[in-house]
Amino acid sequence: MNNMQGSSLLKYKNYRYLKVSAGMMVLSIVVYLFNEPVGGHPFGGTWLGYTLGVVSTLILLGLMWYGVAKRSITGTPDWSMIAEHEGMAGSHQRPAHGKSSVNKGLRGSGMLQEWLSGHIYLGISLLVLATLHTGFHLGWNVHTLAYVLMMLVIFSGFYGLNAYLNYPRLITLNMGEDTLDDLLLKIAELDELATARALDLSDEVNVLVMESCQETRVGGNLLQQLSGTQRDCPTRFAVQHLMTLGGHYIRDDQRKMLRDLYSLLLRKEKLVLRARTEIMLKARLECWLYLHAPLGIALFSALAAHIISIFFYW
Amino acid sequence: MISCLLIHVTRNSQGLPISKNSVISGEILQIGRGAACKIHLQDHRISLLHATILRSEEGGLYIDAEHNVTLKVDGFITLSADLVPGTLLEVGPYSLIVEPETEHHEITLSLELIHPLPAVMQGHVPVNLAALGWSKRKFGFGMAAIILFLFMLLPLLPAASNALDKWQSGLPVTMTDSWSPGPLSGGHELFASKCSTCHQRAFKSVTDEICTGCHARVSRHLTKADLEVQAFGGMHCTNCHIDHKGREELVLHDSSKCVDCHGNIKDKKTSTELANVNDFNLGHPPFHLTFVSDSGVVHIREDDKARLIEKSGLKYSHQVHLAKDGVSSPQGDTVMQCQDCHKLEESGKHFAPMSMQKSCQQSGCHALDFTDPVTGLAPHGSERAVMNSLREFYGKWLGVSADNLAACKGAVVQDCVNELARKNAAATLFRKDLECGECHEISPVANKDVPWKVTPIRINRDWQPGAIFPHNRHDTMKCTDCHDKVESKVSADISMPGIAKCRECHVGNHPAKGKVASGCDSCHQFHRTAVKPEN
Repeated sequence: MNNMQGSSLLKYKNYRYLKVSAGMMVLSIVVYLFNEPVGGHPFGGTWLGYTLGVVSTLILLGLMWYGVAKRSITGTPDWSMIAEHEGMAGSHQRPAHGKSSVNKGLRGSGMLQEWLSGHIYLGISLLVLATLHTGFHLGWNVHTLAYVLMMLVIFSGFYGLNAYLNYPRLITLNMGEDTLDDLLLKIAELDELATARALDLSDEVNVLVMESCQETRVGGNLLQQLSGTQRDCPTRFAVQHLMTLGGHYIRDDQRKMLRDLYSLLLRKEKLVLRARTEIMLKARLECWLYLHAPLGIALFSALAAHIISIFFYW
Repeated sequence: MISCLLIHVTRNSQGLPISKNSVISGEILQIGRGAACKIHLQDHRISLLHATILRSEEGGLYIDAEHNVTLKVDGFITLSADLVPGTLLEVGPYSLIVEPETEHHEITLSLELIHPLPAVMQGHVPVNLAALGWSKRKFGFGMAAIILFLFMLLPLLPAASNALDKWQSGLPVTMTDSWSPGPLSGGHELFASKCSTCHQRAFKSVTDEICTGCHARVSRHLTKADLEVQAFGGMHCTNCHIDHKGREELVLHDSSKCVDCHGNIKDKKTSTELANVNDFNLGHPPFHLTFVSDSGVVHIREDDKARLIEKSGLKYSHQVHLAKDGVSSPQGDTVMQCQDCHKLEESGKHFAPMSMQKSCQQSGCHALDFTDPVTGLAPHGSERAVMNSLREFYGKWLGVSADNLAACKGAVVQDCVNELARKNAAATLFRKDLECGECHEISPVANKDVPWKVTPIRINRDWQPGAIFPHNRHDTMKCTDCHDKVESKVSADISMPGIAKCRECHVGNHPAKGKVASGCDSCHQFHRTAVKPEN
């Protein structure tokens, strides 16, 4: 974990939001334990239940406002914004899409950091507040749907926090000063060189090289990106089997060509691994947002249905 | 020697052909990737030596493919083919067309790469999640739209139309099911699919009128209407009866609301006779037993032994009837049990009233027979009914024979019958220690026809009408554990257990180890007003 980023975000303003969040959680637990609701069974309809529900709703709306505020300030995913200003990852981390603006980002970074710190800690507090609001009464209804969606959003946020705290450092370690485009260009160059080298070698060698060039995959669908591997990678296979095919070469120039070819494929394999690792780390860094944000929108609608249903059939 | 004009065809950006000629010659013309091949094709899909153009014995040219390579001639895979003008050869990704013969060259071949290598791998493969084309916004708003349709719009629709409401209530899954926060209590499940049965107006809570529309006979807590309004004026049914909590949860089992008033009821109502109650174990007054007499209802504390006397009008010894060796009966000595006379009603709360026939005459005991001058059997009824029965009996008896009639000694028959009946009644049935007098208190009265009066029986059936005691839920105990009647010789003895006996097993609202937590409603009902107990 990058201590710099952890300290600045999680310890923001001397744990201000941790204290607020912990205070709310402890208070609500204590009141819940000592409260004796009418009927003896706690549920959302008691005074404590309504209080916890109202507070949770206000917190949730505040947390959702973060998403809106973030877009209006930067138009970029939060992790890259923060990373940019905390020196966690190189400038190459900035996504190509979106309306990224360094100046706008700089202007809003302090506020965004505060928002994000509050977003994390207050989001965690909802785990307790919303659970106590339910009184542990769950069922097949819109009320439980809202609760389950909230839990999914919170736990996807946990993943996101973990990813945000760890992956940028790993990305930097993996890529150094290179970018993914650099790696892909280098791989393409090595393919070209290997192809030329292989033309004068045996058909078996050519088949290995051709498959390495044509069938080695970097990236792919969601699972392929997240796994960062390719089953039976042709480049790896070529590296492992190339030298075993060189036994019948008698001429020195052919042996030299084979060694050159091996060297090229070895370099290519390392580049491919780095490129796949880069894609994997970035996919793992970003994938949670494909759940966190949409589930947040779905949660908003379920919450609206939950509240309206409660007051409609008062 | 084979002389060949080789035309290399490539295409420009517009797809138009560009030709480049070269002349090759040799005894044979080898086609392959190898540097030694005359037709040198630099492509991995071509073998080092792919095929060879040879001259046949007849002098014509033909092509001969190596093993394990693919050669197509006019679209058909083959190993060998004659080369005549117009022949189309496919050598790996290349096409070789045999052109018409020319003066200077024995054969003319045009060569074109028709299947170039595919684009490099990363050209079409997504390298980040954004390239997958997924939209967080579309995904989120799509889910939100589905949720709003299923869980907001659909449940709202029945409120707009009674016909729709009625129709949807018959569906296996109703449109409003998703709004129900929990299962309804037992009886209310009947209309669980029709929310509007109780929730009749949007954004308005369920009113008392809706409840009492069905529950019309629910009694108030207090008998005096003005006091009821004063005490519960601001409360509604739903303050205590919260539904959607499951089958058994509609009745409030929470003593806190009771204690709100009864904990300090002396201050709230100075004229009350009730004591303050906070908790069964820690703050409950001693039991009071309810006595009903002609002068009214009297409540006597459980420890006021001097006043705890029941005046039932019955002479009865539990000691005699519960003797271990049995009680004498026409069937011999019979060992009796409490349940022989005290039979629990189906409700399990009270005992059925005892009767002469079912309780006292169950083993042929206590037959009301008389003997003088002849034996007979009197009915169990009022004094007049007994006397009438005797008169009827003697009337018939006198008419049976002249000897019987002689018993009248010449008196008027009617007078004789009356006298025989009175005489017999005085001698047997209405004696203070026989027959009726064995159980009843009998006193003479100035009445010519029926000169005795039997004190009416008034056995208290409910000593604590303000409380409920389910005997059936205590059937693991012996009757005598609580009611020590075995040695009781007179019916005036009262053997009702005091509060200390209950506290041996029960505590109040707060659970204690080895005890049964008991709230107010364990024994008391809110909607049961303090009515005059039944006799």
